[in-house]
Amino acid sequence: MSKLNLLGARVPITRRALFQLLSAAISHRLAQAETKGTPRPARRLVLITIGGIRRQESFSQAGVVHVPHLFNDLLPQSLFYPFTANEGVTSHFNTISSILTGVWQHVDDWGSEKPSNPTLFHYLQRQKHASPNQTWVVTSNKQLTANISPGVNVILAKQLMIEAVERIIMGQTSRQQLERQQILAEMTAVLETDYERIGWGVPSTSSFQDPQVKQMFVAALADFIHGANAPTSGDELTYLTAKEVIKRIAPAMLMVNFSDMEVAHSGSYSLHLGGIHRADELCHRMWQFIQSDPELAATTTLVIMNEFGRDPDGSSTNGFFNHRTDTECCRMAWSMVLGAAVKKPAIVEREIRQVDMAPSIGSWMGLKVDRGSGSGLPEINV
Amino acid sequence: MSEAVPEFAKDLIGRLPRTFGPALKDQFQQWDLLFPAEQRSLRAQLHWLDELPRDRFQTLFAPIIAIEGKMELPDWQPGTVGLSVHDSGLLARSPLYPKWRVEVEKVFTEVDDAVEKSGVLPRPPRFLLCVLPAGVPLTSQPLWPELAKHGAWTKLDVPFGQMLPPLAEALAERKPIAGLEPIESTWVLECETKLSPLAETSTATVLSWAVLAGARREFSSKLNSIRRDLHSVDETNEELRRIDMRKLLSEPVASEPRVREFVRTLLLSGNGSLIFDNSFIQWGSNEALRRVQPQVMLSCFGIRQKIKPFSGSVLFEDQKRSNPTPDQDDPAGSLVDALMLSEYVYLGSERVTPYREHTLTLMAAADLNRVLMLGPKSMPAVPVSFNAAQLTAFTLDWLRSAR
Repeated sequence: MSKLNLLGARVPITRRALFQLLSAAISHRLAQAETKGTPRPARRLVLITIGGIRRQESFSQAGVVHVPHLFNDLLPQSLFYPFTANEGVTSHFNTISSILTGVWQHVDDWGSEKPSNPTLFHYLQRQKHASPNQTWVVTSNKQLTANISPGVNVILAKQLMIEAVERIIMGQTSRQQLERQQILAEMTAVLETDYERIGWGVPSTSSFQDPQVKQMFVAALADFIHGANAPTSGDELTYLTAKEVIKRIAPAMLMVNFSDMEVAHSGSYSLHLGGIHRADELCHRMWQFIQSDPELAATTTLVIMNEFGRDPDGSSTNGFFNHRTDTECCRMAWSMVLGAAVKKPAIVEREIRQVDMAPSIGSWMGLKVDRGSGSGLPEINV
Repeated sequence: MSEAVPEFAKDLIGRLPRTFGPALKDQFQQWDLLFPAEQRSLRAQLHWLDELPRDRFQTLFAPIIAIEGKMELPDWQPGTVGLSVHDSGLLARSPLYPKWRVEVEKVFTEVDDAVEKSGVLPRPPRFLLCVLPAGVPLTSQPLWPELAKHGAWTKLDVPFGQMLPPLAEALAERKPIAGLEPIESTWVLECETKLSPLAETSTATVLSWAVLAGARREFSSKLNSIRRDLHSVDETNEELRRIDMRKLLSEPVASEPRVREFVRTLLLSGNGSLIFDNSFIQWGSNEALRRVQPQVMLSCFGIRQKIKPFSGSVLFEDQKRSNPTPDQDDPAGSLVDALMLSEYVYLGSERVTPYREHTLTLMAAADLNRVLMLGPKSMPAVPVSFNAAQLTAFTLDWLRSAR
């Protein structure tokens, strides 16, 4: 087992020991926090960001076939901004940080740096004194790390599965095959022992250290692995995890990221389209889930944004594989707002910017996003 | 035999914008591993720049140098060769990167146009063939609807799959054209091994996804061991750049240094070339068109296997190794992939000057008894239908024609 040197201590400490040490410390603090009680939030935000999807595979005459739920079921009840420009770096970490902060970010694409401005989560924590339990990120994307918003619960759900599968493949475990039961056992083992490496960060005091919440997560994993139709998708796991967080904790702010369509980087167009279809379906399921609970339905705004498009066919960057060009095809995304913050469903044809969403939704939540550079969207309730 | 890198070019580096230095030095250092077309093109570009009056030279690069002055650039030392992943990331996330890219493209367009007008580079007629594999459901969707607007469908007396072996053989064994080296004659990228014997009997270069299985496994295994930090990525890339490819490849690819290095670069350059057979064919073909510029390029797509449960999230892995679920072909998905990727091969050829307006392109499917033909306006009239001998003769005549 690999070893760490804790804060320069001369005696090496194993990850398991470190985990236990941290758990004990956090449990103690949580116990103190729980006695104060946490009020139920009056307004909740669920923000779904989706990886790169071009207009030609989504909101266009030829593309709507790939997003039937977004187009037919959600768009008519939403505020829809079909022209939402990404004027920043068209990489995952920078785009999602820009959406969350309301400022174009130019930090390391690989998530080794935190955003250089506060995120919506931080505004909520500081201005509304929300506890860490009220702020959650559940993401599929490999490039997102806990740095996306320090001080917030960040679950890299797909990473957990990837880690378990990789450990089996690389022979780092006694388990040998990618069969359901072996993967579940490995995921549970990773969850228990390999806290450092799997990258699902719990950088602050967090209920995730609560054994009950962890048990909930393991149970959710078991449901996923043994569920019908042999689920193969990381985004389905992300959805399931996010749904569990809402069901059990109903936090004030949850960001979910879907990224199955990013298989495009490996060049399978059919699997890329499959990822788009899956994201479309999972967004719809999330909306239905929120609507199925009267309290959630009354208090929650669901915002769905694709991070960017992808490169045009025939570009020197290999078209749909990548998202690097300074083209409309790559930079022009869309946004959809559903639920409590919507004054009146409408298609807003003027161009907006992704950084406009944080101050707008922030205002609806009673937050002043004073370091954001975006403009407020008047169609959103304040 | 290739000439060495010209001396004046080494002095020129100091006058160019800072961002050009590391990549250019990398090309000079690997000069012997560049293909003849790359050497000719680079030499012509550098020669044109060297001859440019000082004031025009400064005017040409002034916008890039001005942008560089405002960018946070990596701390390159005078001897820095090539760009690390970290360097590339730093450039790409700069707020000025899009402007820098636009200016760089403008400069290259001006240089390339000038070199083209000078007429120093050979521009023979060329042939590109993309073939969809047998067994895909061809009637499930229209075939290349966008390309079909610019070409014409021609009937064949038998399905194209039957015509391919004799056509490929005739192309591979044709008399080489003056001014091109044998390595620039014919390149074949295939998923299977049907055309691989051509490499033994002709000057054709054949890269087969199946034959390269050992090399792919080795690269995948190393890339799977990368820790999630940039240093580890650079370290692993460096290790794979040093690995002895001769042990991983079979003859004749193993003994031709330029092809050997082409394969290494291809497998390291992403774009799915290690993961999916059809991505390997597309990206390999486009890289060959850009770098080697062969007179004849044959790109034969294949059938991808279905992604097994749980393998979908770990695409660097050879899913046969650890997953007990039996392999299953995905003909429907393979058709969707191959249609798009074969179109990308064609679009890629259109971006490379020697192919634009000089190339006869055939888009074919092994099970289909018609082909889509695309070519320049000056292409001879295409008959209503072909048999195998007629198609071969038409193609060979095209390649011999004076353009």
